[in-house]
Amino acid sequence: MKKLIALGMMLFIAFQSMSVSAQDLNEIIKNHITAIGGADNWNKLKSMTSEMTMKAQGAEIKLVVNQVQKKAMRADIEVMGMSGYQIITDKEGWSFMPFAGQTKAEPSTADDVKSSQDQLDMIDQFITYKDYGKKIDYLGKDDVEGTDCHKISLTDKEGEITTFFLDASTYYVIKEVSKRKANGKEFEMTKTYSNYKKLDEGIVFPMLSGGDEGEMEITKVSINKPIDDAMFQPKALSELKK
Amino acid sequence: MKKLFFMASLLCISAMAFAQNAVNSSMFSIMEARALGPGTMSGRVSAITGVANDNGKTLYLGTAGGGVWKSTNAGTSYKSIFDKYCQSIGAIAIDQKNPTTLYVGTGESNMRNSVSIGNGMYKSTDGGENWKKIGLDSTEHISNIIVHPSNSDIIYVAVPGALWSDSEHRGLYKSDDGGATWKKILYKDAKTGCADLLMDPSNPNILFASMWQFRRQPYSFNSGGEGSGLFKSMDGGATWKEISNGLPPKPFGRIAMTLAPSNPKKMIAIVENKATGLYISEDGGDSWKSQSATMNVCARPFYFSTIVVDPKDEKRVYRPAFEFAYSDDGGYSFSNASSDGGWVHSDMHALWINPTNTNLMYLGTDGGVYMSIDRGVTWMFQHSLPVGQFYHVAADNKDPYNVYGGLQDNGSWMAPSSTPGGVGNANWSRLYGGDGFWTVPDADGKTAYAEYQGGNMARIELATMKGESIQPKKTLKEDKLRWNWNTPIVIGKKNPKNLYVGAQYVYKSTDQGRNWNRISPDLTTNDKKKQEQEDSGGLSADNTSAENHCTVFTIAESPLDENLVWVGTDDGNLQYTLDGGKKWTNVSMNVTACGIARQAWVSSIQPSQFDKNTLYVTFENHMYGDHKTYLGKSTDLGKTWIRLDSKEFNSFAHKIVEDTENKNLLFLGTEMGLFCTLDGGANWFRMKNNIPEYALVRDIQIHPTTHDLIVATHGRGIYILDDIRPISQMNQETISKDVSIFPTPDIILNNGRFGWGGPEVSGGWGTGNAPTTPSIQYYLKERVSSGKATIDILDDKGNLIQSMPATIRKGINKVDWNLRGTPPRVAAGSTKMDGAGFTAPMVLPGTYTIKLKIKDKEYLSTVRCIHDNGNKDLSLIDRKLVYDKAMALQAMYIRLANTIDTIASLQAKLKADTVAFKKSTSSKVIYDDLEKVRAALMATKQTSMFADEEKIREKISELYGTFCSMEAKPNATQLQAIASLEAELKAQEVILDKVRKRCSAAMVY
Repeated sequence: MKKLIALGMMLFIAFQSMSVSAQDLNEIIKNHITAIGGADNWNKLKSMTSEMTMKAQGAEIKLVVNQVQKKAMRADIEVMGMSGYQIITDKEGWSFMPFAGQTKAEPSTADDVKSSQDQLDMIDQFITYKDYGKKIDYLGKDDVEGTDCHKISLTDKEGEITTFFLDASTYYVIKEVSKRKANGKEFEMTKTYSNYKKLDEGIVFPMLSGGDEGEMEITKVSINKPIDDAMFQPKALSELKK
Repeated sequence: MKKLFFMASLLCISAMAFAQNAVNSSMFSIMEARALGPGTMSGRVSAITGVANDNGKTLYLGTAGGGVWKSTNAGTSYKSIFDKYCQSIGAIAIDQKNPTTLYVGTGESNMRNSVSIGNGMYKSTDGGENWKKIGLDSTEHISNIIVHPSNSDIIYVAVPGALWSDSEHRGLYKSDDGGATWKKILYKDAKTGCADLLMDPSNPNILFASMWQFRRQPYSFNSGGEGSGLFKSMDGGATWKEISNGLPPKPFGRIAMTLAPSNPKKMIAIVENKATGLYISEDGGDSWKSQSATMNVCARPFYFSTIVVDPKDEKRVYRPAFEFAYSDDGGYSFSNASSDGGWVHSDMHALWINPTNTNLMYLGTDGGVYMSIDRGVTWMFQHSLPVGQFYHVAADNKDPYNVYGGLQDNGSWMAPSSTPGGVGNANWSRLYGGDGFWTVPDADGKTAYAEYQGGNMARIELATMKGESIQPKKTLKEDKLRWNWNTPIVIGKKNPKNLYVGAQYVYKSTDQGRNWNRISPDLTTNDKKKQEQEDSGGLSADNTSAENHCTVFTIAESPLDENLVWVGTDDGNLQYTLDGGKKWTNVSMNVTACGIARQAWVSSIQPSQFDKNTLYVTFENHMYGDHKTYLGKSTDLGKTWIRLDSKEFNSFAHKIVEDTENKNLLFLGTEMGLFCTLDGGANWFRMKNNIPEYALVRDIQIHPTTHDLIVATHGRGIYILDDIRPISQMNQETISKDVSIFPTPDIILNNGRFGWGGPEVSGGWGTGNAPTTPSIQYYLKERVSSGKATIDILDDKGNLIQSMPATIRKGINKVDWNLRGTPPRVAAGSTKMDGAGFTAPMVLPGTYTIKLKIKDKEYLSTVRCIHDNGNKDLSLIDRKLVYDKAMALQAMYIRLANTIDTIASLQAKLKADTVAFKKSTSSKVIYDDLEKVRAALMATKQTSMFADEEKIREKISELYGTFCSMEAKPNATQLQAIASLEAELKAQEVILDKVRKRCSAAMVY
């Protein structure tokens, strides 16, 4: 019996150490892509319109985002009775943010347009990272809000790093930390993701995302419905709707 | 065989199931401790280095017990980057060829009595974001790391090694593969380590190593011996020869040395020997000349081992030591720095000079970091490093309570646990000087007791901070009193009028130290061989009370009986009295029976609050080279003991405390982390909770009324984990459920306890206050990955008051309700943001339902919101009045928004008929008249916050905001203003009615 227990213990220890050893990174990425609906489904994604709300102690901020894959993106925001928008296309960009005192839409600089291009790709970064010359590294396991996670960094060609935390049981990304440098300053942005839901075309997407500014909930999403090119002109949404 | 395998799997599964059900730190990760710091007095800094080619913007600091800190702005602010690892730092090196690659050697090498211990080398390749352990785990202390300037794979590590024992892990190590493997390239014997290393920048194969024989015992220190010496290698460490030409006769102690980067043949060394002196070489160390130097330059070589030559100017030499000295003639004469920029903390250990702008330098002292921009003549203190080394912490019973504590080389301090604007550097007050240890408040609320090293204690009047010495003195019948470096000063837990202090005897006072009764005989082993401190130090005498031994180290009165007093000594005795000191019983032999070392220091005693015969005791034996975690429990007044242990523990223990409500909840403070058990010590987990995982936890208190866990760290200041009742109330029943909502304590309706007080003007370190409104708390067995989580608040009629997002973390969740309803809708089309959309009146007293919705399931609880009777400015009747008026203003605001919507819709209709609109003058006139009403109702022109435009909406909004935040009876003008606004709004509505009629008429056409 003693022998039996000893063997049991040995197996237990072996099992334990096996379960905590670093899993093969490719395997983790594969599991992640499966969890979010698979690369084939994601590659069907051509356009997406999402309506979102941000709630802070009962008050609401509304956001509507229109995206055409690799072509253009427009975000309209409504805060306390005021409306503004941001547009990025593959050629130009516009911004009208009256909350900060802007009185008319202003064009983005060529640099801004250039550096925003990868945002135009809606497909999950772990499916496309190689296309953009990015590399991934496994940084071990870490605890995010009590959940055991795989920590993976994604480094782009400019050396900027975004670190992803994938729930070790679901393989969903639950947290993302990006470090950026601008105007001599270094800053960090943290986002959290939850309420993953299967959408049209079979892609699985987080309906809730959190950041420093609060929690954003996607209330309505439509996929691969046509979006008028006029949407990406610097005009107020109310004017465009006419 | 099959059966065997089956049984084994079963065992494995049952073990796993148990592990999954066990309580662990992640369940409580929402509970984040507040880091009070402060940066006011800071703490010992052992290493400073910077990236050479980025204008000195990137700096790394290593601290004695607070980990590694990084600045990316030349020291304006710092960020801690080593919170998951050993906090005692010996050396940091940057690979200047790839400056995001850095190495940290743990285990500080300023070998004082209180120095901590490391666990090896760490490497980061991303500027300190992520770390990998790369070996040398048993070295304990690392003094220097050098990366080869042109071959990044070559790294040298100087290892003085263990302070308290022989060790074969000492010496100089080299890696040829970036730290993957190591080989020892210079070794003398198990008593002699490598204290320092220099590399000739013009020829990196030329190395100088100083070897040092040293040893501490709990009661003495010895620096020096035949092992010490200075060595040179010409071949990258493959072969070495000792250099001695011109140096004094051996034995040597510790050698501090440097060379001039601009002329590496020029070297300076401070060689500890019988007459420690300064030596200068002009030929790369082959020959040396003695040079006279002041005491400040040569004193305490074991503690002051830094000397640096300016990177560009071989004549400019810096000697950070007891004070900061600089030389302008290559080390032949030294001057001391000026105090024009304020006092510079004595005891200096690290200096980094920006190699591209050598006027700029950073100095690490026992009290933080200073920056100089004039080559070290004057210094500015950096206030943002919360790395103070507390020995103890105490709290009083005020509301909010104050914390008190003494720090290594930084005196005794106190600060409020909460204060308007949060607790910042400026809120800390100094009580006493020297090295600080026990700092304890008296129950009278006006007095505290503090001390400096060797039992020099005083009663402090808190109103004036005047101190009166109260240290008991020996009588003719007594031996010379032996006071520990860290002498216990303890207030009775049962009777707070009892004040206890201990030398080798225990003294008790019941009149605040004005009179003392000796209540014990010598409770130590009184081993005379351990009492020869006047001969301590080795080659340089060093007797500062740090080695005083055979002393009382801890005293604890039972919380249940003031006549039951426990006393522990630094030489392994544990004794108690049941009659207030007439008779003492020594139980130390019983303790050793459970496997605890006989001579171990009794570091803390916790007599149970629930049973007089039960006690927990920590022992620590690291001064005999034994790092085991010793925690004993007895339930029969010390007759028999069990040792509580865990595989989670990895260093020696300083403190055990028992929760005030749950007798199975214990906290253990160790040299490497804070631990918690919820089952009386059977299973332990490491506490994270925003506290560095390997924090040097020296003391822990649980506040009896707030249930806050107050933690004193020896390197990261004070932490407060507010209200630990969620931990204390966690039980198997809760854990087994998928979702469990905890009862919410009554909420007192107010806007919090403190005002803001304006922006922090003194800068430096700061933290927020304890929350004053209870959170809604619930437990989730698993994180909610799919599905929504919300919390609805409903009134007693079932009306929805507010709906909020709920957090979804695994373990305990906390959601704060702002005690308000849902803000009103804001009218569209303004050019100005309006704040009313973000506020609503505070709810009235009553019972509210909390509806937690997780996916498709609902969990209900209630909370009672009660009127704040403490606020004499607001009666319950006033509260109702304020609420009604706020709601009336909200209704007015919504009415106005609806009116604006009506106008917008009319205007749109007019414009929609584009033909008519273009042709018809009357349409345009009506349109413009509508616009006039709109412009009267709300701001339509303002484009900048600096050009304010105030219309009816803005006025309602402002008054609405005032009523929503009101905590006093409204004044008559405020009430009257509501009526005025009502009239103004009404007047516009009348105008609009008329325009509307015209509009309807116009639309007919």
